[in-house]
Parts: sequence; C-alpha cells; structure tokens
Amino acid sequence: MDLSIDDKVQALRQEIRAFFAKNLPPEFARKTLAGDKLTKEEHKQWHALLREKGWHVPLWPKEHGGPGWGPMERFIWEEESGMAGAPRLNHVSQDLLGPVLIEFGTPEQKAELLPRILSSEDWWCQGFSEPQAGSDLANLQMRAVRDGDDYIVTGTKLWTSYAHVANKIFCLVRTSTDGPKQAGISFLLIDMEQPGVTVSPIYTLGGMLSVNEVQIDEVRVPVTNLVGREGGAWDITKFLLGNERLMGAWIGVNMAFARQVRERLEQVGPDGRKRSENAVLAQRVAEVETDLVALRYTTYRVLADELSGKAPGPEVSVIKVRGGEIMQNLTELLMEMAEAEGMVHPLTMPHDGLPVVAFELEHMAQQFFDKRKLTIYGGSSEIQRNIIARRLLNV
Amino acid sequence: MDFNYDDNQRMLFDMVDRFLTDKHDLVKREALLKDPAAEAALWREMAELGLMGAAFPEEAGGFAGSSADSFVVMERFGRHLVTQPYLYTAVIGGRLLIEGLSGDARQDAIGPVIAGERQLALAAGSTHMLRSAEDTSFTAAADGAGWTISGRMPVVLNGDRADRLIVAARTSGRTGERQGVTLFLVDADAQGVSRRSFRMIDAFGAAEVVLENVAVGGENVLGPVDGGVALVELALDHGVAAVCAEAIGAMEYLIPATAEYTRTRIQYGAPLAKFQVLQHRMADMYIQTQTAKSMALVAAMSLDGDAVERQRMISAAKVQVARSGKYVGYQAVQLHGGMGVSEELDIGHHYIRLNVINQLFGDSSFHLARFGALARPVAA
Repeated sequence: MDLSIDDKVQALRQEIRAFFAKNLPPEFARKTLAGDKLTKEEHKQWHALLREKGWHVPLWPKEHGGPGWGPMERFIWEEESGMAGAPRLNHVSQDLLGPVLIEFGTPEQKAELLPRILSSEDWWCQGFSEPQAGSDLANLQMRAVRDGDDYIVTGTKLWTSYAHVANKIFCLVRTSTDGPKQAGISFLLIDMEQPGVTVSPIYTLGGMLSVNEVQIDEVRVPVTNLVGREGGAWDITKFLLGNERLMGAWIGVNMAFARQVRERLEQVGPDGRKRSENAVLAQRVAEVETDLVALRYTTYRVLADELSGKAPGPEVSVIKVRGGEIMQNLTELLMEMAEAEGMVHPLTMPHDGLPVVAFELEHMAQQFFDKRKLTIYGGSSEIQRNIIARRLLNV
Repeated sequence: MDFNYDDNQRMLFDMVDRFLTDKHDLVKREALLKDPAAEAALWREMAELGLMGAAFPEEAGGFAGSSADSFVVMERFGRHLVTQPYLYTAVIGGRLLIEGLSGDARQDAIGPVIAGERQLALAAGSTHMLRSAEDTSFTAAADGAGWTISGRMPVVLNGDRADRLIVAARTSGRTGERQGVTLFLVDADAQGVSRRSFRMIDAFGAAEVVLENVAVGGENVLGPVDGGVALVELALDHGVAAVCAEAIGAMEYLIPATAEYTRTRIQYGAPLAKFQVLQHRMADMYIQTQTAKSMALVAAMSLDGDAVERQRMISAAKVQVARSGKYVGYQAVQLHGGMGVSEELDIGHHYIRLNVINQLFGDSSFHLARFGALARPVAA
C-alpha cells in the first residue's frame, strides 16, 4: 500500500499548472469556472495554444500527434484542466472519435480525418441516443440500407451534444434487423453539411443550448465511411465509452466547484456575518468535501488497478453515480449560497451599466439545473445500479 | 378537525382551475412572458374573477373567509405553473397593507389591488430571497413631515411590474437590528426611482431597484416607525403558507404525470413502470407529498391564530415542504429522463420552481433555527 504518486507524474502536474498559469487566458478560465460558455472561436484559440505545446489531443499516442500519455498522466491532465477552468469544448472529436479512428479506422480514414481533428477543422458530434433508444441503446432504429457503394441513411438522433456547432456526426446505425439487436448496429461517419441533415436545438432547463435533435433523411453515405466492420459497432462503442470511464468522476471540475464553495463559505454574507458561522451550512459543505475526497481516492484506486494491468470493470459505475451526485450537490450549494443573486436567469440580465449581480453569480442557477442531466445521460444512475447488481453482485 | 376545503373554498378551487385550464399552460406561458400587454390583461381577468379579493378579509373589502382561502388559489397556481405575481401583490403586499394601514388610507391602498389595477413588490432585506427585514438595503431620513429614501437592492421580486414598492428602510440603529426598520409605500414612478428588469430562473419577473433621495410623505409609512420588522415577518409567514400550497399543487401534479410517463415509455421491451425500483421511487414521492400536504394545510390554518404557534407551524411546514418538493421534483425529472430536463415539458419547470420555493422566505436552515428557538414540549 502506498498513497504517493511517482515523481515523474508529479513533475508533469507541476508542468501542466505552470503552463496554464502562463497560457490559459484568464477570461476563458473565468467564464468556464462561472458556468458560462465559450464560443467556438474562443475554443479554437485555446486549441491553438495547446497545439503549440503538443497537448491538444491528450488521449492520443505520439505517432498520431498526441503526447503519448498513459492512464495516470491523462488523469492528472483531467484533474488539472478541471481545476484551472480550462475549456473543453471539442471533447467529442478529440477524446471520443480520435481514439476510435486510431484503433479501428482504415489507413485512409486516419490519413484524412485525424489531421482535421488536430487542426480543429472538424467538429464532430456523437449520434447515439434516439427517441426510442435512451437507456436501451441497442433498441436504436436509424437505418442504413446498402445501395451500391453507399448506404442510404434515415432516422432521428436525440440529445446530440454540440450538433449545433459540429460539421460532422458519427452515428450508430442499424444495418441489420436479424439476430441479436447489438449485432445489427454499425458505426458510420456522416458529413452534416449536406441536404437531408437537419439540426434542431433542444433547450434544456435554464435556457441552455447544448443538445439537439438531428434528423437524417435519405442521406447517401459512402461505404468507405464505415468504421470497423458492418455490424461491429457494439465493440467500438464499448471501447469509446471505456475511454471516458473515469471522466464520469469529474474530479478536476468537482474540485474547482468545491474550491468555489469553500471560498464562498468563508465570505461574509448579506447579514454581515461569515457564512461559515451557519453551522448547518458549514456542515453541508464539509460533507460534500468529504464525499469528494472519497470519490477522488476511489477513482485513483480504479486507476491504480488499471496501471497494474487489471482491466477496469463495472466498478466504474460507482464513480459515474457518485461523480454526478457530488457535482449536483456542489452546484446546489453554490446556487443557494448566492441567495437571490444566484437565482437570476442569466439570459435575461441587463448588461447596460454596472452589472445587477456579479458575473460569478449570474449563471449559478442555470449551472445547477444544467447539472441535473448528469445522473440521466451516459447511462442513468438506475442503469449504473443495474450494472453493479448484475455484474458485480450476480443478482 | 377538518382538513378539507369548505363549500366556498371548493367553489373557488373549481373556478380557478377552470380558468387556468382554459388560459394557462406552458405554451401560453411562454407567449405571456414575451408580451407584457397580454400579462396585464390576464392579471385584470384574474382580478375580475375575484382572485385578489380572496386574499383580503371582508372588513378590508375582500371576501376571504379566512387566510386559508389563498391556499386554494396558490395550490392551483402551483398545479398550472402560473408565474403571475399574486404571491407578491395580493398575499404579501396585501397583508402589509391590511396590517400596516388603517381607515380610509387602508381602503384607498387596497381597493386598486383588489381591482387588479395595482401591483406590489416588497423590497426588504438585502440579497436573500425575502427572509427578513433587519438587514436593510435602504436608509430613510426624516425630512420635515416626510422622509427621503436612498439605497439599492439587486433583486426585488416583482419589482419589474410593481406600481407600488413597499420599501423596508433603516430609520434608526444599525443593519441587522430588529428595531429601526420602517416600511414605506413608494410609487414606482416617483422621482429618483430607477429599475432594471429581468427574470428569475423560474421565469417570475424581478428588478434591480435603486432609490436616490426619493421623497415620500409621512402618510406613506406602513405600520409603526422603526417597527417594520415584525410586520414583514407576519407578511412573509403568509408568503410561506402560500408557497407551501403552491408546492403541493406542483407535487400532486408531478406524481401522476410521472406515473403516466413510466406507463407509456417502453425500454428493454417493457414499460418503465414495470421496474420495481421506479415503482418504489414513485411511492416515495407520494409519501413525501402526503407529509408535506399535511403541513401545508396546517400552515394555512395557523395564519390567523396565536403568533408563536403560527411561527412554529409555518417554519415546520416550510422545512417539510421544501424537502419534499425538492425530492419529488428531482425524481420526476429523473424518471422522465432526457425529457425531464427539456424546457419543452412542464416537468422541469416545476422542478425549478420547487427549488426556488426552497430558497424563498427563508431556507431550511433559517426555519429550523426559528423552529428550534420557539421550541415547546411536544405534548403542549
């Protein structure tokens, strides 16, 4: 047993911190930490800064332009990015599709598509969920019918994050209705900038726009856009989701929230007293802080197992459930401590003259309600508990 | 003992429900929020229906049998997700006029409110969601027979639509002291008043209110000079009872709506409602709602009684209803999955409002402390 992290990794942590301190535009960090969104242009600017350092695709191996980090280094990167308020907007291209193409793509697909991610030219979105396929993803109906060298694709994807800023989408499509549901699903790359592809925004609580409905109507997609073999999407999907398995802990982001919570607790409230004098509040804060410490070490434990060669298993569900709940609790505290100023609707605030409420408070309510999704998407908390019960407890 | 509506309350319930079923749903609300003229017209219709009068006793020109009548109105408002400022104008503002004025001045002030011609907002406290009045954002100095008021409050609920502001200003002592706060009725169009409007996360209107040397006459003082805090506390107790009712309306809607959704949503070849874990979740929503409803009714029936008992029961109710409301709202969203977080469905909007209610008029930590301070032996 040993809690220490080796010197090389610690040195990387310091290097990342120093890099952020010097290069991360304060305005980007301020926006990210205050629950505001960056524009696509701002993200590209940040991407370019990271590119100079070689950290723009942190999950990729060296031969494809990444830093070649192992699981520990990647995790430290996640932690530090979250804590620093570094934006993370094109995550779908860099962290989800990139590794899939590297693992399963044809030489032609790699040669054409990886450079376009590296240059931030392509912004991908992920077309998985559908109206009738949420928790039950294998029930998806978007169909791709073979016609010569093309597929003809028709169907609807729902809750597609960032489709409104993306130019390409990778979709799980049904290429066969024979046999088990999972076996008839293929992984297809589709250009969104063509007739037949319609993106409609879905506004979520607090007027947030991050998810969309994507309708695809008889769109021709070359067979060469298939990733892996026809009917082979299920394994690719498992690989893709595996790459973000520790992401669900949101350790760095949660630590940034916890820091803000602690800062606000130590401030003087509207009644002229330090908020920490409110024993109930102080205890709630300490409670979620201890929750976060426990989550952090649970995540490290899974990571340590992985480093020792053990394949991560369903215990990742523990991390996903707790990560979402803790972020909901932290953002709730931030909103509640800001009292009336934390309950304003950010999209309606007047911005002439002095601000009505401080920038740091304007998004607190929207942010809290937006985090409601964490225990729903990517396998709801109920699904995660099913996984634990079935695969770990054999019940 | 009777926890049911009497005949008059039953009639009021049916009338409000019919009216709102016809005039108000999520789609119509979205249109209303963009159209001040339509909002004003709806407000007048509500007044013509007699809803404002339901918050005032007969001796004040209304027709309330008791303060519990507002429960009926607010409960239906909660069910139908109404964002009209009945709470701030009739319940809280109205109570301050009833208690703070007398004689002709009182009738002159209340008449236009009952008629739907005047809206009110309470600008008391500092940045909290109307918890108490001893932390003051405004100061008032005596000026001949009148007063001059200055100060700024960032978030005044219904400050955007109010024709009259009820301003809690410090007239003596220091911020945080109970003594020395005086309530003033201030015309929102008076010289020196400036407002910037916005909405809260639950779509209710609000405004930043800045007063710069606003002159008001002595006749515009509500209640005793330096004695405004107790008056605000009474009015906010009425506010608590009202939002407890509103929360019950929302919760009693969310449970069958969630049950219906889980009966029709098929995943893994079966309706979600077949999964026992979700059945138990909905049963817990029911348990939470029933305990909350008991306390919301107790709160309504405590308003006109003994002051200490009123405060205890109001605080107990607020704690229970806030906790239950947050749970029921959270689970309603969770069981609706993605649809629950979409603005297209009313489910998420109810969840937002239940969270705001949690914060309004003192959060649980405030009310637990107040309940504890007034503790009596359980048997008493």
